[in-house]
Formats: sequence, structure tokens, C-alpha cells
Amino acid sequence: MDAHTIETIAGVIDKKMTRQLKQYLDVCARCAICKDACHQYVGTGDFKYLPARRAELIRHVYKKYFDSAGRFVPALYEARDPDDNLLDELYESCYACTGCRRCMYYCPFSIDTQWIVAVGKAILIAAGRGQEMLGQLADAAIFKGENVEMFRDVLVSGFKDIEAEVREITGDPEATIPVDKHGADILYVALAGAHSIRPAAVIFHEAKVDWTISLFEAANYGYFFGDAEKAKLIAKRFMEEAKRLGVKEVVVPECGHAYRVADIFYEAWTQEELPFKVSHILEVVDRFIKEGRITVEKGRIQGRVTYHDPCQIARNGGIFEQPRDVVKALTDDFVDLVPNRAEQWCCGGGGGIVAIEEMRDVRLKSGSKKVEQLRASGASVLACPCENCRLQIEDLNQLHGLGLQVRQVIDLVVEAMPLPGNTAPRA
Amino acid sequence: MPGAAREEGIAMSEEIKVDLELDLKGLLCPLPMVKVSQNIGNVPVGGVIRAVATDPGSMADIPAWAKSTGNEVLSAEKQGNEFVFLVKRVK
Ligand code: SF4
Ligand code: SF4
Repeated sequence: MDAHTIETIAGVIDKKMTRQLKQYLDVCARCAICKDACHQYVGTGDFKYLPARRAELIRHVYKKYFDSAGRFVPALYEARDPDDNLLDELYESCYACTGCRRCMYYCPFSIDTQWIVAVGKAILIAAGRGQEMLGQLADAAIFKGENVEMFRDVLVSGFKDIEAEVREITGDPEATIPVDKHGADILYVALAGAHSIRPAAVIFHEAKVDWTISLFEAANYGYFFGDAEKAKLIAKRFMEEAKRLGVKEVVVPECGHAYRVADIFYEAWTQEELPFKVSHILEVVDRFIKEGRITVEKGRIQGRVTYHDPCQIARNGGIFEQPRDVVKALTDDFVDLVPNRAEQWCCGGGGGIVAIEEMRDVRLKSGSKKVEQLRASGASVLACPCENCRLQIEDLNQLHGLGLQVRQVIDLVVEAMPLPGNTAPRA
Repeated sequence: MPGAAREEGIAMSEEIKVDLELDLKGLLCPLPMVKVSQNIGNVPVGGVIRAVATDPGSMADIPAWAKSTGNEVLSAEKQGNEFVFLVKRVK
């Protein structure tokens, strides 16, 4: 590795390694309690996925450049140069980590391995070894943000197609998907797919909400890639839009990391207080049901229903009860997975890993705990409010023949609403 | 067809030789873009992928991916409920 790259990597470590992170590296007792908490280690038995091992790799490089003992007696202190072997290991351990923070929950010192992994990703990016697919997805989102006029017509034309379906479902020929509506109460920032827009539009229409749709999607591959600047730019697209439109609330869709980025990270990154609140769509739907603004009927959803807590919404986002309340309003046959809420097993699909083809094998193996939980529940329907989790669990469903219907929660809500055009589920 | 893809200014032509067909029907965004990206290396430089998606989000996603990676969308057309792309590998 050339001197310039090494210097860049050392600069990244120097910048990213906060007091808290240094403390994490110092206090780890190597007790390995975290090994039983990490779905990836449990599912693969592979040492490189042990949470403390992921941190160990960063510790090696850190010791080499920023610890006097490690600098002078590297062998004794396990200090290592960030050579290609180390970067290979770092790549596999950091980009495979789903950022679920289950290890932190069980660690006696609450060591946040996900945060340490973020330093690992920054090192990889500085060395030109960032995960290519995630980088491309992030760049495409930024390009869209910088050239919104280039895409406006195709986006609006897509919204019009979905609007026609919303009219059919609601039986209201006047139902709309408003775009660029100044002074609306809610800006809904969907995912790029129609599946994320259609049911939300039906619910907003039935709840008689003054809303408007964002021209941007909430997913943030800059965050998964590990580049805080890109992540900020991606979220900034709709935060600025919300400010321009003067909305009171930004609502993010059934996506875990999008919620965490918008509600938790954005203000910290920008040091800016936002003039609106940020909510997850299920917080809003729960509100609508409890206020009687939408009607849902039990009996329309057939079979036992269970709920998967996406890590970024539940353990890391603090939303446990509202989605359950929504699901329980739709059925009398609800069963929780065991364990659940803050102790829920990660499904193995977070952190962008579903977009990384070369990690498919480890991803599927790391779903073994989720498969056990789902089987034990006896449920035939899984309500799951995160796109990455759904993709992963659908793959597990196929692979293990679980016979589950893996559903977006808002799709189930719409299905339970007495609406004229409410027929079969749509793709 | 309005918007980004039409601004590329190249209509679909029967003379364009397609090197790889991708059936992306039923995939939700951003997976159509992910699949195009994963497969672009499977055609030679100058080669063309014909991809058929059903998610309308792909009409913005795939051209944005092409622009930001230096590849080229030769055409993007809505045909009934499907979105048909010709994507050329530039580098
Ligand atoms: S549980 Fe915490 S202290 Fe123990 S090995 Fe894992 S990270 Fe280190
Ligand atoms: S954050 Fe999750 S995937 Fe990453 S090391 Fe911890 S338990 Fe494993």
C-alpha cells in the first residue's frame, strides 16, 4: 500500500476516533458474550463475524498509528498496517454487519460495534475499497437530488399511474397524490417503488389528511455505504423540500434505516434543528386508527399474524408498541415472536447487505435464528415494516419453505379497510 | 413519454443489438437498478442490456444510475404496465 493511502487512512482514523470509540476499544474484556447475540456469528459460526473481532481489526490499525506502545512494539500490541489482507478482512466484517446493535444490547459495557464498524467503512472508503454497489446506489440518489427537474416528469407520471389505482381502491374518482403542495400538513417521503406509495396514499386519502408526496425516496444508501457526507446529502434532498413546502411533519415509509437517519442522525449531522417533526408511517397510522380517522375491520386478514421488529425501528429507533397496536387492530389472532422488542433477533437483511450479491450466502445463513422464531410462532402472516427485512425474510421463506405471507404493515391495513375496490393484494 | 429518458433523445431502435436480456418484472425499487448494475459487467464495453421492469420508480432510478456511473440509457419506454430499458455499457 502506498504512503499516501496509508496517510489518508490514518487521517480518517484520527478524525473518526472519538473519545467514546477509543474507550470502547480499550474496555472490551474479550468476554465474547456478544458472540451469542450476533445472528451472523450464530448463523455461520465464522470467527470473522464475531462482534468483538470486527472491533479488533480497527484496534489493530489504531494501535499502529495512534498508540505509542503499538507504534514502537507492534507485535506485542497486535498493531498492524492496513495492508490488503487486513482490508479484505475489514471489508467482509464491516459490510456484512447489519448494524442491528444486538451485540451492544447484551455487551456488559454496551460497546457499540456498529459505530466501530462505521470507522471500518470509512477506512475502506479512504483506501478505495468501499462497497461498490452501495456506493453506486448512493451516487444515483445524489444525482437525482441534484437534477430533480430532469426526473420530475417521469416521477409525476409514475404518481399519476398510482393515483389511478388509489381511485379504484377508494372508489373516489377525485382521490389524488398531491405533488409540491405548499403548506400541506404532511410530506410523505416514500421508497422509490409504487408499493410504498399506493397504500399510504389510500390511508392518507381515507384519513382526509392534507398531504403531499416527496419527489425523493427515503432510502439512504450513503448511510449503508458508510459515507456520512453522502448520507447527509441524500437526506437533505427531502429535508430541504419539507422546509420549502412548509410542512408540519415529515413521514418516512416502512423502512428501518430511513427512519433512523431522518429522525435521529440528520439533526446530529447537520447541527440544525428541524422546523417539523419526523414520524414513521406506522406511528401516524396508529394515530389515525386510535383517533377513528380510518376504519379497519378484524376478520379480513386470514390466519395467525406475527410481527418482526426491524432493528432500526425498534431496538435502535425506540418504536415498539405503535406497530403492534396497528397489527392488533387488524386481527384477534396475533402472536409475538420470542424474543421480541429490544431483544428481537435481527433477520440478517439490514445494513445494505441485501444489495451485496457476494454476501448472499452469509446473509441467508445468518437468518437461522429468525427462521426458528418464525416457525415457533405458528404464524402464517408476517407483518414487517422494513423493506430490507422483507427482502431477507422472503428469501428465508422460500429457502426454508416457511409458507409465510411476508407483508408490509400498511398493505395489511388497507386490506382491512372496508373500501369499494379492496380486492386481492397488489405487487 | 415525458421526462428524463426522453431527454436522452434516442428512441428505441430495432437495429440495436442486445447482448443481455434482463427480466426484472415484479422486483421493487431499487432492485431493478441493482440488477442492471450487477449485470453491466456481463456485457462487453459498447454492449447493450435490455431490461424489463414493472416498478415505475425504475424510470428515474435506472437513468440516474446510468448518469452517475457513466453508462448510457439508450431508451426507456413505458409499454403498457412494463418499463423497457436499453442500457449501454460505456466503460
Ligand atoms: S460482549 Fe462487549 S466486552 Fe465482551 S467481547 Fe463483546 S464487545 Fe467485548
Ligand atoms: S451490530 Fe449486529 S451484525 Fe453487527 S456485529 Fe453487532 S450483532 Fe452482529
